[in-house]
Amino acid sequence: MGVELGDIFEKHEIQLSDLAGRVVAIDAFNTLYQFLSIIRQRDGTPLMNSRGEVTSHLSGFLYRTTNLVEAGIKPIFVFDGKPPDFKARTLEARSKTRDKAMHRWKEAVAAGEEEEAFVHAQASSHLKEGMVEDAKTLLGFMGIPVVQAPSEGEAQAAYMAQVGDADFAASQDYDSLLFGAPRVLRNLAVTGKRKLPRKNIYIDVNPEIIELEDGLSANGITREQLIDIALLVGTDYNAGIKRVGPKTAMKLIKQHGGIEAVLVEKGEEIENLQVIKDFFLYPDVISDYEISWKSPKESEITDFLCNRHDFSEVRVKGAVGRLVEASDAGQQTLDQWF
Amino acid sequence: MFKAIIESEKLKETIEAVSSIVDEAKINLTPDGISVKAVDPANVAMITLNLKSAAFEEFTATEGELGVDLNRLNDILGMAEKAEIVEIELDEESHKLVIGMSGLTYKISLLDPASIRKEPKVPQLELPARIVLTGTDLKRAVKAAEKVSDHMGMGIDGEIFYLEAEGDSDRMRLDMTKDQLISLEPGDARSLFSLDYLSDMVKSAGKANEVTIELGKDFPTMIKFQIAGGNGEVNYLLAPRIESD
Repeated sequence: MGVELGDIFEKHEIQLSDLAGRVVAIDAFNTLYQFLSIIRQRDGTPLMNSRGEVTSHLSGFLYRTTNLVEAGIKPIFVFDGKPPDFKARTLEARSKTRDKAMHRWKEAVAAGEEEEAFVHAQASSHLKEGMVEDAKTLLGFMGIPVVQAPSEGEAQAAYMAQVGDADFAASQDYDSLLFGAPRVLRNLAVTGKRKLPRKNIYIDVNPEIIELEDGLSANGITREQLIDIALLVGTDYNAGIKRVGPKTAMKLIKQHGGIEAVLVEKGEEIENLQVIKDFFLYPDVISDYEISWKSPKESEITDFLCNRHDFSEVRVKGAVGRLVEASDAGQQTLDQWF
Repeated sequence: MFKAIIESEKLKETIEAVSSIVDEAKINLTPDGISVKAVDPANVAMITLNLKSAAFEEFTATEGELGVDLNRLNDILGMAEKAEIVEIELDEESHKLVIGMSGLTYKISLLDPASIRKEPKVPQLELPARIVLTGTDLKRAVKAAEKVSDHMGMGIDGEIFYLEAEGDSDRMRLDMTKDQLISLEPGDARSLFSLDYLSDMVKSAGKANEVTIELGKDFPTMIKFQIAGGNGEVNYLLAPRIESD
């Protein structure tokens, strides 16, 4: 999902501990999908409670968020609101891909091909009713602030980083840059050991920082031109032009100055072009949100996860203990007075 | 260039004051002395420190900066006796700090200043209340509070400066009247602070004859005191905690 702009931007690898004291606005949907995709058993079966409801995401939100808080990070989870109308086609296509993956996963399991099964299972991850509500409930008990975006969560997170309410916008997608996030943090939710697909190889994943201004000036382009490049390659809202990758798109935009001239030259059209451009430049965001980290509610977390979702009490209590120890809810930072 | 001779105790005081906030620091050199500005990784506590050339037996420096691993330096200074004279010199060629004390010579590697966290901007704060007390009294109050909680409130009630802490079951309160203090300029002030930070700070402040505390309402506090027999000044800034449910 999102635009593939990895080649254009230089990434700086950092350690989780370098983020101590930093406020990070995290794209919650993006994180939720990552949890659903990664947190699975060997044959691809997600974690489930006794009623057969998937709980992989809750496991992720508890343990991984606790790791972040332990590293001294102040996370804010930003949830998606209503997707823009022009995203409908993308969402429909994604849902089809998922259904296909689900089918292949079942086939692979039946054939006993564990590696294949896992890959297809990952691709079949989909949001079910209740997952978002459950995640918000859990985060609330954990004392982690949640912001409800009116539209795309990434846009809201980018806005919060722009106005300085957050030091970073965190998402795996490069769209955060298109929405104008000055500093984007990748790999935050998946830091640690990660298995390569179809291989029995584990790699260390560290967080990466991308600086928007640095990337733009290194390439000699403006943010508007970056959006044009993304539109040529294809975004969540349009399919892109055939056989145009990030490098070609960059060349074309630099040559012609803007996307309109490129499209004329190529004899191509992009549906809703101006609407999508405006959406990246001036997305629908809110400015009245409350950000405060509260003390975790130990018994509520345990009750919610163990009694309602059949988590192991020993493990949950361990994590909650770490969270309580690490969360210094009332401590303010000096930069508030700068 | 940098070459200095100083009583070990004065240098230890200086390094200790900084190392209670950060593990690594950039020490700025000027012909007039040395200075440090640093903020802890969590952005909660800040130190600005100045040590005038007069604090040294001998002092020559040109503008420059040294990246120092403070724990390493503390450890080495631990080898020096109290009144011993310590010689420090920057070896420009190897970019190492040469430290000599009664026959012992250490050569310690310096850190790349660019790898150390950027120096913070120091906020200008107008704090309504100002309390001056002895370092011993402040240290005692912090010790007393640590027995019941992990945070401590400081505030002004009329003409009284109070320090209080409340744990799950126990409470501590210390009232100090104007005549028990060195001086008091009352104002509307009450803020809560983490004892983790305060106890680190009073390790240095506790040795000072006079400690000045500036306070506001749910505002950072400024804790000021002199070191090196009046030839140096430490200024701590500590962000408050806000009482939560």
